[in-house]
Amino acid sequence: MAEAVRRRVLVVDDAGLVRRYYREALEAAGYLVDEALNGLEALEKLLLQPADLVVVDVNMPQMDGFTFLKALRRQAAPLCAIPALVISTESGPQDFAAAQAAGANFYLVKPVSQATLTDYADLMCGAGA
Amino acid sequence: MPLIRRPSPAAPDPAAPAPAFTGGTAEERWAAARAAAGSAEAVPTLAAALATEPDMRVREAIFTSLALIDTDASVQAVLAHVRSDDAGMRTAALDALRAMPRRAGRHLPALLRDPDADVRILACDLCRSVAPPELHALLGPLLETEPEANVCAAAVEVLADGGGPDILPALSRCAARFGGDPFLAFSIRIAAARIAAQRCG
Amino acid sequence: MKPSQETDEEFRRLCDFLYRRTGMIFTDSKRYFVQRRIAERMGATGSASFASYFARLRSDIAGEIEQFINAFTVNETYFYREDHQFRCLTADLLAARLKHKTPGEPIRIWSAPCATGEEPYSIAIWLLENWPQVDAYDVEIVGSDIDTAVLAAARSGRYGRRALMRLSEAVVKKYFAPIGPDAWQIIDELRQSVAFTPVNLSEPGQTRGHGVFDVIFCRNMLIYFDDASRRVAAENLFENLAPGGYICLGHTESMSRISPLFDVCRFADAIVYQKPAGGAHG
Ligand SMILES: C[S@@+](CC[C@H](N)C(=O)[O-])C[C@H]1O[C@@H](n2cnc3c(N)ncnc32)[C@H](O)[C@@H]1O
Repeated sequence: MAEAVRRRVLVVDDAGLVRRYYREALEAAGYLVDEALNGLEALEKLLLQPADLVVVDVNMPQMDGFTFLKALRRQAAPLCAIPALVISTESGPQDFAAAQAAGANFYLVKPVSQATLTDYADLMCGAGA
Repeated sequence: MPLIRRPSPAAPDPAAPAPAFTGGTAEERWAAARAAAGSAEAVPTLAAALATEPDMRVREAIFTSLALIDTDASVQAVLAHVRSDDAGMRTAALDALRAMPRRAGRHLPALLRDPDADVRILACDLCRSVAPPELHALLGPLLETEPEANVCAAAVEVLADGGGPDILPALSRCAARFGGDPFLAFSIRIAAARIAAQRCG
Repeated sequence: MKPSQETDEEFRRLCDFLYRRTGMIFTDSKRYFVQRRIAERMGATGSASFASYFARLRSDIAGEIEQFINAFTVNETYFYREDHQFRCLTADLLAARLKHKTPGEPIRIWSAPCATGEEPYSIAIWLLENWPQVDAYDVEIVGSDIDTAVLAAARSGRYGRRALMRLSEAVVKKYFAPIGPDAWQIIDELRQSVAFTPVNLSEPGQTRGHGVFDVIFCRNMLIYFDDASRRVAAENLFENLAPGGYICLGHTESMSRISPLFDVCRFADAIVYQKPAGGAHG
């Protein structure tokens, strides 16, 4: 992918190994990747540099994924419109409902393989989007 | 020069009646929560207030007071919310437990055996404040027997940061148990590389 | 000093540890820089290997986390340190605060911790030099610290050449009087305009007597606190801010490691944090 069209993904997860697993897959697929450890840091990073996709965990210190998405959807354009992929170990129906209410576009339950992640990234913001 | 120096505004009157937890404004409930920080007797009141408090910031103040009180009763009041259906509440409870690491640490063995896998995952994360050999004693058996791959992954994440060489055999047995899980295989490979580097260091 | 000899994974492990705790990010491109500091701290602590040093750091033996962070941040304070925040103050923050003021109401600015006073005096000088409306408003600047010895030094306002290195000659001439070779003192008029008070920010309720401020500078202190002290300090600062008021942290600090009480705001010159206008209501 040429530099000009490389899409930017912000990975928001407090687990360093998870961020690294996603980063390796996304970079191999041509994305630029940035990382945040919780929802607050994600907001801070997006204010400095918007992304084309956010990949968001649910349970994180200081600000959980749903609170983050609600705050993101209240931001001015273009931030409020960034597509969001939630990937969590939480698999209860209340979590799916909360994700939807918070403004998530897709919800996957961990573990998610690198191939599945890049498929969703391509679907949500990749070359075909 | 226009910059001025003037006496600071007066402190609130210490003789004013203690603010109430329920009914009042968010500011009043916040003040009540903060005022309770020093007193262990306030735990039941704080615990009850937590159950109904709608304001996230007042909730934070209640959790802080429970963390500062730092008794078994105050840990219990916080632990009650680790299982909450509300992700914000779980986050707040976990953050409060991180602020009382020693006392929360005593509850880790029970939390790591909780029937709810989500609680076991969160408990693994709380183990960050523990160093080997206690860390190995907590997470080693889990690596051998835990049926949920996501719980093992949470344990590996913490061990990659704080584990020592003694844990390497348990890590490789865990990898073998979940041979088909690519993320766990990846995590264990990195954790093992980090830990092994220490041996020759 | 020779750079340290850790492996790639050991290096990443250390970076992960720092990132998780502080939000500071060091990538492979900064490796040499980090290695120099690790080697320095290994030497200072007599650690034989990276592994034994890292174990010491993780367990915070003899306050090693603070020492290590200090190796990365310049921990001496000086005039016009991180002045992009002062630019943000005069370009955006004060105008935003003035919208909520009635005529005659003072603007209150707090430097906490203020250490030996460079920061609050810098704010005063910056306003006098860069804020044309400075004559139209009452501005109150307070500097506070837990350490009464640094407060005494702050009140006396005497500084050496190093502290003044970022100030222009004209500014030094205007606001300082030479008192010896390589020694200057803040002019009386300016010394009168900053109040210095003792405060313990990590003790609940200890800051209330200071009243509410429009802007608080809380730089290079919270990064050293443990989780419990960070929570208490954040709540104290929250109480000491007017609704809609702003807080500026040090450049290696992020509120995302400290507290969810504040909203994050981006201005042209700085990222700052804000108490929501609705007060405790989120
Ligand atoms: C590195 S200095 C920061 C000075 C200045 N803000 C700057 O960034 O240049 C840290 C200061 O924090 C003060 N301090 C440490 N703990 C404190 C506490 N609990 N309450 C108030 N001040 C504290 C110390 O006395 C010290 O002067």
